[in-house]
Formats: sequence, C-alpha cells, structure tokens
Amino acid sequence: MTPRPARGRLRLAVAALALAAAASSLGAGCAVVPQNRRKRLADPMMQLETDALDAYRRQKLYSTREGAAGGDGAPAGGGCGCQ
Amino acid sequence: MSAPAAVTLLTLLLPLGPTATAAPAAAAPPDYQIEAVRFRFTRFDQAGLGYQSAAGPSGAAGSQQLTVEEPQVEIIARAGDRLTERIWLPVDVVTAASPDHSRYGKPYDAPLDAVTQASRVNTAGSFDSLSTYRWNRVTDVSFHVAFHIEEPLQSWAMGIGWRRSFAEENTALALSLNQVLDWFDRFDLDGNRHGRAARSTSNLNLALSQVLSPTTIADLSYGGTWQTGTLGNTWSSVLLSDGTRGDERLPRQRLRHALAVRVAQWLPWEGALKLRYRAYVDGWGIRAHTGEADLVQRLFGIVQLRASYRRHTQTQARFFTISADPTGTELRTADSDLGAFVAQTVGGAVSIDLARGGAGAKAVFWRDLHVDIGYERYFRSDHLTIDVTTWGLGFRF
Repeated sequence: MTPRPARGRLRLAVAALALAAAASSLGAGCAVVPQNRRKRLADPMMQLETDALDAYRRQKLYSTREGAAGGDGAPAGGGCGCQ
Repeated sequence: MSAPAAVTLLTLLLPLGPTATAAPAAAAPPDYQIEAVRFRFTRFDQAGLGYQSAAGPSGAAGSQQLTVEEPQVEIIARAGDRLTERIWLPVDVVTAASPDHSRYGKPYDAPLDAVTQASRVNTAGSFDSLSTYRWNRVTDVSFHVAFHIEEPLQSWAMGIGWRRSFAEENTALALSLNQVLDWFDRFDLDGNRHGRAARSTSNLNLALSQVLSPTTIADLSYGGTWQTGTLGNTWSSVLLSDGTRGDERLPRQRLRHALAVRVAQWLPWEGALKLRYRAYVDGWGIRAHTGEADLVQRLFGIVQLRASYRRHTQTQARFFTISADPTGTELRTADSDLGAFVAQTVGGAVSIDLARGGAGAKAVFWRDLHVDIGYERYFRSDHLTIDVTTWGLGFRF
C-alpha cells in the first residue's frame, strides 16, 4: 500500500478534533451525579476496564502483531513482540 | 505449562479461600485476606505469510504459522483496609517463534530449522506484582514490579502510579510511569550468536475519567513511550532485490504517542455498549486509527452475552521494503507488522456469574463464581489470520 501523507495528516487532524470534542464533553459533563444515582455505572457490565487477564490476552495479540500497538497503558517491549 | 498442569495449580490455590472466609466477623478488617483467584487459558492459532520470515520459497514471503498456549493465574489479596496486592503469573508456550534464515531456499515442506531452540517450542513466563495503597479517601498510590524470562530474553519492569478522584468520585485523574529493561541474545541470520543486546522502554500514562450521566461514563487517556537500544529481535530478514535475504536494520530509538477515548453507555434492556477510539503516531512514520465496539447483554440475571468488533488501520514504517538494495546501508525492514494493513477482529463470548454471598448462604467458601468462554478471529488485509479461543474461571471470597 502506498502511503498518502496528505490524507494521513487530514485523518490525524480529524482524529485530534474528535478527541478535543470528546475532551470538551468530559469537561462539560462535570455536573455531579450523586452516588445513589450511580447504580448502573457500578454494574460490572459497565466497567471500562475488563477483567485484567482478558485484557492481557487481547493486548498480547495486538502488541505482538501490530507495529502501532503499545505506547499506552502497558509499556511496549519485551516478550516475543519485539517492536 | 499445559492446561491440566495449570488447573492443578489452581486446585492447589483454592484451599486458600476457606482460610480467608473463616476470619471472625469484626469491625476491623483481617490482617490478610485472599479476595479473588482467577484463571484464564487462551490459545492463539496464527496462519499467513510475512516478508520478514525466511520459512518459504525463494524470493517470496515466508510462513508465519505458529500457535501460542497461554495459561494465566491471578491472585488478589487485601492486607488490612488500605493495601491491596495483585500477583499475576502469565505463561506463553510458543511454537515456531523464530523460523530460521537457513531454511531459505530449501523445499517448502522441509522440516523446520531453527535460529534458536525457541523455534520449536519456547516457554516464556512472567511474575508480576502490583501493590495499591489507599493513601486517603480519594487518593491511591501503586507500585509495580515484574520479571519476564524466555530462552533468549530476560526482562525487568517497574512502575509507580497515582490516582485521585474528585467531585464525589465523578472524576478521576491517574498518572503512571513505567520502565522496562530487556536483555537478550543477539543472533545473525544463520543462527550464530554474537553476544547480548539490550533495549530500554520508558512509558508515561495520563488518564482522565468522568461520569457524564447516571448511565454514561467516559475516559480520555494519553500514553507516551520512549524506546532506545536494539529494537528488533535480530533474526528477522529482509528480501533483497537480487532475490537473496539480508538482515533487518532498525533505528535505535523510537518515540510513540497514543491518545484514546472510551465511552460506556448503559442500555435500558439490561445491556451495555462500549466504544473506543485510539489514534497513534510514532517516530518511525507509522500512523494508526483503531475503533472498537463491545455490545453486552445480560440474560436471566446471571448470563452475559458479548459481541465485539475492532477495526485497525496503520501506515507503514518509512523504511519498510520488500525489495531492498543488496549494497545499501540504509535502514530497512520487511516485518509485516510494520507494514501498512487493515486488521479486523470479530468475536463473541458467553459468561456466567453466580453469587453465593447472601445472608442465608450455606457454608460455601466462595462468594462469587465466574465462568466464561469466548472466540475471536483476527484477520488482516495482508492475509494474516489468528483464531483465538479463551476460557476463564474466577472465584471471589
């Protein structure tokens, strides 16, 4: 596949805008939800972090097979995923 | 470690549970209590071709066929009311981890040769410990140490973390720093050993999570990683324009940035939708976008069905090639993982959670039991495929 730098920059700009919008949403969402109304959020189904062992086997797959994996969460390097 | 051996290990660990629950009911927390024990077994079956592999016909991509069996055990214990300890032992049993360059030019169905003994079956194990201390009502600090060993490589890791919640725990800010040192054998393409090589990985993570409504939560995170040293495995090869193969040459430094946002939304029919987007860029010229969606549905109060989809696109490293100049001295790699591709993952899982913690419960040593089984298929535009089967078992005491 031939790299397309201009299009890549455009996509990165769109991604940055989307993340900025998301950050704004986080900031705008600062109205406090009292603890007695957070029952749904406490449900295990709603956890953003899944169980650690399941998360590891996913991370293992991607960090050993994708050059763009890593760089966040757990540090890259080590094991047979040498990138 | 085979699956039966791992199950035996789990069986040995389980008697720890009654000791924990036998503690007298008192206002003060017990000095030491096993809180949970979890086990997971995963099998990866990979097939496909890659230009960095010499295990194939002359002048063409080589085989990347391998399997990985991966048992993991996790024990979570609480010491007093402030300290939580997590001990985690993952093991990987990998076949054909390093197909040999000397296989190049041989009949395609010739027996597998090896750069290292790791090419036949390589067992890798880690010990990982995470201690989390509740500093006060809103602040946690954590300390992490880990050691990893496999035939040609040893690795040491340590890290520190800090997390503070604000606004009645509607907002949380987390910061972590990690350092990894890898030390491994350096091989040439013919399997000759040339001393040792090393690399260093330093990592910074920042995360902000926010409750947006009684049914919505989101977080935003940034991770930056700086790597230096020998950043390849030293035995990957590059296809040259004259039909032969040469060594891979990678930069000795790499700076990586990843930015991600996640949202979880409760669905009124006892379900949840989780979305994640991640943008990535690094100093080798790779840019990537990844989107993920998980849909979870609860049935009969104890069964959960999960369907997941992930799509990842990345550009190639600026020095990626599948036809390098035989006389050139420039950087070069043919590693398909550093090439441009689109990868998709489709999967599903079923899990059952049984609670036994009610006031009228019989003398069962575990409070909650979790069982799950899942399957995923990872497939790429360069025809690499991986089938993943996994099952897990967990107890809370």
